[in-house]
Amino acid sequence: MKKKKIAGYLVIICSSLIMFLPFLTTVFNSLKSYAQYTKFPPEWLPSPVQWSNYAEVWKLGSFGQYTMNSVIITVLSVIGALISCSMVAFAFARLKFPFKNTLFLVVLGTMMIPPVVLIIPQFVIFKSLHLLDTLTPLWIIEWLAQPFGIFLMRQAFLGIPRDYEESARLDGCNPMQIYWRIFMPMCKPTFATLAVFTFMTKWNEILSPAIFLTSKENFTLPIGILSMAGQWSGNEQYMVAAALMSLIPILLVFLFAEKYFVQGSNSAGIK
Amino acid sequence: MVTPYIIHFLVFVLGSLLASLYFSFSEYDILNPPKWTGWDNYTKLLNEPVFWKALWNTVYFTILFVPLQTFFALVLAVALNQKLRALKLFRLAHFLPVISSWTVIMYVSDAVFNPRFGFANSLLQAIGLSPQKWLQDEHLVIPLLVLIAVWKGIGYIMVIYLAGLQNVPSEVYEAAEIDGAGTIQKFRRITVPLISSTTFLVLIMSTISTFQAFEQIYVMTGGAMDASSAGGPNKASLVLMIYLYQEGFSFLRMGYASAIAWVLFVILFLLTVVQMTLQKKWVHYE
Repeated sequence: MKKKKIAGYLVIICSSLIMFLPFLTTVFNSLKSYAQYTKFPPEWLPSPVQWSNYAEVWKLGSFGQYTMNSVIITVLSVIGALISCSMVAFAFARLKFPFKNTLFLVVLGTMMIPPVVLIIPQFVIFKSLHLLDTLTPLWIIEWLAQPFGIFLMRQAFLGIPRDYEESARLDGCNPMQIYWRIFMPMCKPTFATLAVFTFMTKWNEILSPAIFLTSKENFTLPIGILSMAGQWSGNEQYMVAAALMSLIPILLVFLFAEKYFVQGSNSAGIK
Repeated sequence: MVTPYIIHFLVFVLGSLLASLYFSFSEYDILNPPKWTGWDNYTKLLNEPVFWKALWNTVYFTILFVPLQTFFALVLAVALNQKLRALKLFRLAHFLPVISSWTVIMYVSDAVFNPRFGFANSLLQAIGLSPQKWLQDEHLVIPLLVLIAVWKGIGYIMVIYLAGLQNVPSEVYEAAEIDGAGTIQKFRRITVPLISSTTFLVLIMSTISTFQAFEQIYVMTGGAMDASSAGGPNKASLVLMIYLYQEGFSFLRMGYASAIAWVLFVILFLLTVVQMTLQKKWVHYE
């Protein structure tokens, strides 16, 4: 093996350990008793292993509620993003309509607008629609085609050879059928990329839920877990267990769809 | 078929931009209609020491964070870009923090940096140094937040760099090796210039998002218990977005908060323009 490769391994193994060890320590923390969790100097391994911490988390009804809210928001957002972005992208890639190029420039331009200037008006809009403190504002926005998704899907659609739709059109397909029968099946990887990215963003989001939600029963997991600090004071190891459980769904998605995460990161870089 | 986007644009972008601009020139508490006050919010803002403190904290955070993350991500990508075994495992380790929410990261970093029972303090004690209060220490809070943010985000930037490195032809390295170039020389003279267009994108992206950093600081400095305590201790980690959030959503000073948003917007716009101009000087295009 070349010297260079050994150096590469060394760097990567060290940094992998730096990345992973804190997580392992956290897993151990989630299995400790409160007395051991707060002991100084700390002990690394839990003894005795207290699996009941994980069961305790579910005993408090609100954790199930937070999970449900997060699932609803995430699932509706993913569906909305896939439908709306792909439709708009299809129009940009294939249909003819007035101001098409201007409008596409607008899409690119809005990607550059920092979300910070839009937060307060959005709050006002949802307030006037009486949607504050409901889950709706958190997913409805994804049904209105976010620019990143449009851009991603359009790139994929532009890569489909025109011959395919020509023959479909000769067979009597209308644009809607071409979109359903040809474009959607051919761009499955891009759909998957957009799906996993929307999933990750929505599952982990903190700013929007912190702004739009006020009643505890509407909280999502990331803010809900934090809000349980009062109820679980004296048993903070439950919160560690709760936080780790909130990581499981996204971890599963990652393990099954890793290549789409990688593709998505790259297109984020290209934008 | 473009209807969803047109609604999105008219209501949530154009409409919101105009509304936000109007709010920034008014007194607005949500309950009563906005009252036009001219430049009041802006003059108040520029004379408010807390605003300047928040601006400085934001700049300090960004100046530490962006170069550190970019540099280490590039080093990791170069190390990973040579067909190593167990690549998938390494990538998983680096992506684990990327896919975690800040709530998860808070407990992970707490395992190390808890001021009462964290491992960092036990390490300090073992080598005879005094324990630290970490995130509760005015001077340590921002550097430590930056360290944790670099740790969380590095895997993401690394993957972007890995894609960029695929485009650097291996013949260039081979030619340099024949001429006797060492690893560090090759990194400085070949990799860095040939990958500068990726670096440029990474720098712009991270600067824009770091200037709007909110979630990490909100979660890790106690905002989740009480929004007005975020940005502590003693406002040492109060960044512009936290300031905006507190003014707008805790004290319902929406007009004033909109003015903060617009100042932030203008700063970001100018930064991007500067970066675009400098780009011509150092970015290498083929």
